[in-house]
Amino acid sequence: MNVYYITFRSVTFAQRGEEILRRGGISSVLQRTPRWMEEQGCGYCLRLRTDDVQTGAALLRGSRIPFRKIYLQQPEGNVEELAV
Amino acid sequence: MIYLDNGATSFHKPVQVRRAILDAMIRCANPGRGGYRAAMEAANEVFRCRETAGRMFGCTPEQVVFTSNCTHGLNIAIRTLVKPGANVVISGFEHNAVTRTLYGLGAVVHTAGRKLFDWDDTLREFDAALNTRPDAAVFTHVSNVFGYILPVAEMAGMCRARGIPFVVDAAQSAGCLPVSLEALGADFIAMPGHKGLLGPQGTGLLLCGREPEPLLTGGTGSESVRQEMPEFTPDRAEAGTLNVPGIAGLRAGMEYVEQVGTDRILSRESQCARRCAEELEKLGMQVFYGAHQAGTVSFRPGMDCEAAAQILSRRGIAVRAGLHCAPLAHESAGTLETGTVRVSFGHDASPRQLRMLAEAASKLPPR
Repeated sequence: MNVYYITFRSVTFAQRGEEILRRGGISSVLQRTPRWMEEQGCGYCLRLRTDDVQTGAALLRGSRIPFRKIYLQQPEGNVEELAV
Repeated sequence: MIYLDNGATSFHKPVQVRRAILDAMIRCANPGRGGYRAAMEAANEVFRCRETAGRMFGCTPEQVVFTSNCTHGLNIAIRTLVKPGANVVISGFEHNAVTRTLYGLGAVVHTAGRKLFDWDDTLREFDAALNTRPDAAVFTHVSNVFGYILPVAEMAGMCRARGIPFVVDAAQSAGCLPVSLEALGADFIAMPGHKGLLGPQGTGLLLCGREPEPLLTGGTGSESVRQEMPEFTPDRAEAGTLNVPGIAGLRAGMEYVEQVGTDRILSRESQCARRCAEELEKLGMQVFYGAHQAGTVSFRPGMDCEAAAQILSRRGIAVRAGLHCAPLAHESAGTLETGTVRVSFGHDASPRQLRMLAEAASKLPPR
């Protein structure tokens, strides 16, 4: 399974996102967004292990939870931004 | 002490409120700032309270802004909608939290509906005032002096039909009457956390149907590079560190209210208010009581109201006399010169409280 990061503008949106994903059967971990992922500064993200991040993104969009970006962490550790 | 000043603040809080406050003080650091355990515990505690408020008051968690009291929330709401010199319609029963804020903004205020307990008058006058096309309307759900429950659903509908933004002051109704941001379609609803919701003093909620203008600016833990405040709630209106222990206590208080049920609380309070009015009338007091009344009753004895409250205090009865920070409401009722003695029941209203009050009030001269 792949590791993804979904970034949010605020901790409240991230918490809402975590709840929406959990209800949709996708577990995630709420954590601080690495500085380089968040050009506006401080933020929170959800880290999740899944093979289907698009389902998670669709759940968030369906619940009108705005997220900023999705990143994929490669097995060797590199992280790249995904087009969403 | 027989505590009958719940209109000012609730005093006998459920034990789970105290426990939640203490627990938060032990477990929680600054929410929405760090990523370590105590910071995340704090963020979780705050989010739980937002969820509880959202469930109780018909909105999403991010529409819930924490304030330090209802006045704070009203200031944010009114300053968002009302620009200097704007035309504003208010009810005849508003608190100084509304009227002083409007006065300070230099708003042109039209007071509509001044007859106590008279929904026909309130609605007719409010409707006519809205025809002047004001920039905004602000109205209380329940008068803090007289317990008059205003027809807010109808008033909200009139505003919505004309596209006039409006603010509801739920200072005396949150926790005993249904309040819903979604159902009312309000731009803002402000409420204290420490009255009917049974949280500690220093807590309040502002439910936001639109993005508020910040009253304070500063750190939010989000978008730190930008010098403008974030454009989204709740961050936009929550600069600085939140009162996490207070918020934890407020969440516990709201859960208690949910568990008991607002209808049951209102029934208990209004039954006591009705019986209180009957007892005081028997003693010869002038009692302000009518249809559409919540758990608050005002009366005038045959002596100075402050002196009467002192006599009651010496007999272990805690009530509030004077103008109750609402001179407009007293002016509407014709009691501005004397003030009134206000008896306001809470979630723990009981026949024993009534008996003790009636016994103490029998020492006051009739009017």
